[in-house]
Amino acid sequence: MSPDASSVLASATADALPKPLPSRDTAIQYGMALLTVVLVAAPLVPVLYQSLLDRALYDSGQQFTLSNFGRLFRTEGFGLVIWNTLVFATLTTVVSQTLGTLAAVLFGRTDMPGARLFGELFLWPVYLSALVLSFGWYTIYGPAGYLTLLMQTLFDGAPWNLYSLPGMAVIAGVSQAPVAYIYCMSSASITDPTLEEAARVAGAGTFRTLWKITLPLLLPAIAYSAVLNFTVGLELLAIPLVFGDPAGITVLTTFLYNNGVASARPDHGLVATAAVLMLGAVCVLVWLQGRLLGNTRRFVTLGGKATRPRPFRLNRLRWPLCLASVVYLLATVIAPIGALVLRSFTSLLSPMVPLADVLTLGNFASMLEYPVYPRSIWNSFIVSALGGALATALIGLIAIIVLRSDFRWRTPLHYVALFPRAVPGVVAGIGFFYAFALVPGLGGLRNTIWILIVAFTMHYIPVGLGAVAPMLMQMSPDFDRAARVQGADWWTVSRRIVLPLLRPALVACFIILFITFFKEYTTAIFLFAPGSEVIGTTLLQAWTQGEVGLVSALATLQILVIGVCVTVARAMFGVKLYG
Amino acid sequence: MAELVIEHLHKRFGPVRAIDDINIHVADGEFVTLLGPSGCGKSTTLGAIAGLDQPTAGRIRVGNKIYFDGEKGVFLPPEARNCGLVFQSYALWPHMTVYNNVVFPLKLRKVPAADCKRRVEEALALVEMERFQDRYPHQLSGGQQQRVALARTLVYQPEILLLDEPLSNLDAKLRDRARTWLAELRTRLGLTTIYVTHDQVEALALSDRIVVMNGGRISQIGTPQDIYARPADSFVADFIGTTNFLTGAVAEAPQANGRTLVTLADGQRVTLQSERRPAPGDKVTFAYRPEQMRLASDNDNATEGSIVEAAVVSHSYIGGRWQIGLDVGGNQIRIETQDAATDRRLRLWLPLAGGILFTDRTHA
Repeated sequence: MSPDASSVLASATADALPKPLPSRDTAIQYGMALLTVVLVAAPLVPVLYQSLLDRALYDSGQQFTLSNFGRLFRTEGFGLVIWNTLVFATLTTVVSQTLGTLAAVLFGRTDMPGARLFGELFLWPVYLSALVLSFGWYTIYGPAGYLTLLMQTLFDGAPWNLYSLPGMAVIAGVSQAPVAYIYCMSSASITDPTLEEAARVAGAGTFRTLWKITLPLLLPAIAYSAVLNFTVGLELLAIPLVFGDPAGITVLTTFLYNNGVASARPDHGLVATAAVLMLGAVCVLVWLQGRLLGNTRRFVTLGGKATRPRPFRLNRLRWPLCLASVVYLLATVIAPIGALVLRSFTSLLSPMVPLADVLTLGNFASMLEYPVYPRSIWNSFIVSALGGALATALIGLIAIIVLRSDFRWRTPLHYVALFPRAVPGVVAGIGFFYAFALVPGLGGLRNTIWILIVAFTMHYIPVGLGAVAPMLMQMSPDFDRAARVQGADWWTVSRRIVLPLLRPALVACFIILFITFFKEYTTAIFLFAPGSEVIGTTLLQAWTQGEVGLVSALATLQILVIGVCVTVARAMFGVKLYG
Repeated sequence: MAELVIEHLHKRFGPVRAIDDINIHVADGEFVTLLGPSGCGKSTTLGAIAGLDQPTAGRIRVGNKIYFDGEKGVFLPPEARNCGLVFQSYALWPHMTVYNNVVFPLKLRKVPAADCKRRVEEALALVEMERFQDRYPHQLSGGQQQRVALARTLVYQPEILLLDEPLSNLDAKLRDRARTWLAELRTRLGLTTIYVTHDQVEALALSDRIVVMNGGRISQIGTPQDIYARPADSFVADFIGTTNFLTGAVAEAPQANGRTLVTLADGQRVTLQSERRPAPGDKVTFAYRPEQMRLASDNDNATEGSIVEAAVVSHSYIGGRWQIGLDVGGNQIRIETQDAATDRRLRLWLPLAGGILFTDRTHA
């Protein structure tokens, strides 16, 4: 039954086109752009401003000066601080790249038993904060650590010392190795496996093929993640704070922390200038990352069907290498985390005392006893859930403006939105601290969790964009065009078509931000006040007070929450966390 | 429904001229096809009409509505134009059912709910998809998706209908059926329609007029019969239908009745009837459709055509007949025959009328 076409098309009055609101799209786009610019500039402008002032920026009668820079370099020990920072970052990079590349080849490309499981476990440090990992290592390898004591009873002392630059770099390297691993794995998965097969057919053996073909093809990924990890090494606060400070080893982040937060009379000119120095260094590194990423396109191998590369046969080395992997994962991931969790259920953890004698729930009881700890846990949940949701909304809007609109300034907006990559957490913390002190109306927010939500959001816009942008770029532009031609303006298209289609990416973005906010501490310790503590800050406070049991209990809670989130996210939504 | 006038339209991407001075006048209710190879500017032209691409200069008007005027700085956004556009990818929104896809433009226009339901059903009935209202796009076949996309466009009575290669994503059998169906629908609707394709069969079968485009310019505008029988240049002749080209030099100036004698490179002579009047000595190209050429028989006489010698280059059986590759005076041509011609050399009969002479360089 086919009705007459005229009944569809010949109704006498044509429908009125929807009345366009010409200003609406523009207003939303300019509004969001302005909000983003203000958010990103908020911590940067005060830091730059303060670095050029002769006294604190909230005092009266300041004058512009360049003397802070000279003063900073004449500060006693500052040269050593720079040296330590560079050595720490370099060693961290060497350790993480070596471990990450080895793991990528071993777990990703060989027929070693258990390779998949090992790969999963290898990733775990990246889900946890470096702070928690440090406490785990302390519990095992610290001066009173389980294994250290064991070694002392068996031999004449342990051969390791975490309170040194190499010791710290090993922990940081282990915690950053997953980044190198992920980049190498994703590079390997887009490489044409026939390249290796061609070498095999030409007569090259396993190791020659690895050395001459596989590794050179991984070089771009290794180089890119090396710059990334070097940057992280410069920005890292937790490990130098936990292990470096007691041993008198200061790096740039702990220098900023000690002079900015921990000091009774902070020298703001000096702090801001050091922050500017760090900002400049990281900007250069991020620019270098961009250059390297641009170059990697030239290494993207063409052709090749989606076939799984043939795993390398290890033959006699299969089981020895498997054993080595087990030992490595036990020593660096399972034992530190396991011991930390175990410590939270005991009053003392030592090889000399039987475990049954010391089992207790006392740590958790005292965690709930002092109001500051439940409050920090509650705040962490609020900051992560509410902040994560707000940040996701902001990031979703930025993404559709940048990638799916004809907004005039969308390219500059994209740069602004990605700029926080170049802002270290400590600098963002100091900057927002100044910003909220400087702007009169914002003082009321200073002692609330809102300052944390604002700072975390700004700092992690690029992370969120990374979760949203790929899906948006894969979505056919015809979907929006079809709706536009039918009479929908940009905002209607965004609400009815683009954002609903983007929902999986937005869920992923929210989960990633929830986890990231939940474990964040670097920015927070510059900004929290009594009443607005989060787990990261109370962890550090309890650590400073020597409350190892409490620290373990809090860390265990954080591990548990993140573990549940990661598992649920991966199982239910198939969210790819990192990479 | 309205006429569409495009005047002096230009679109540049840097130094590249994607559209170079396009002029088209489409009458009310006319079905016009933009035909050309990829990169010829046909899709860019369509995008300019829909408002998805902003041209560099020129004018586009539909009825009394100015869509674009480069001089006056007028550029209507797509949502203010009331065009209907069916995409090559169909662009059905995957998160909405068929019903919700089709009702979307009506909701934008604040059509009362009761009317919405009736009109969606009518539009879906028109494309014979009324039973699929509650399905999601991924549950439909390609042909069904294409019909829904068309219903979604027709339901709000657009001023003009724009179709961007709507059949190219269908497989060959389905495409034939969809083409017949579209031809029937178009006579019933009588909408002003611009159809973009690179498929000459679709263009010939559906159009009132065809605009052949090449390199951002219009090569020829005309009815399908015009374009096929009297291509304006060798590009059009080559693009529409299968064409064999021969090159040669004019031996004698055309006579009063248009008969022109051309010498091939190897000295053989061909006579043909031409509207164009080249001068003696001019290098020319002339073209025959394969159905116009055949093997010469003994009773062919040279006053109604020419007989030339050809060397056989290849044989292939293509089901029911043979395709034979020939070399005629250095020109490679192909003809189809009923029986396998196994000789090394053949005599070919070229009719006096029907061959088309071009004075431009051959495109083939």
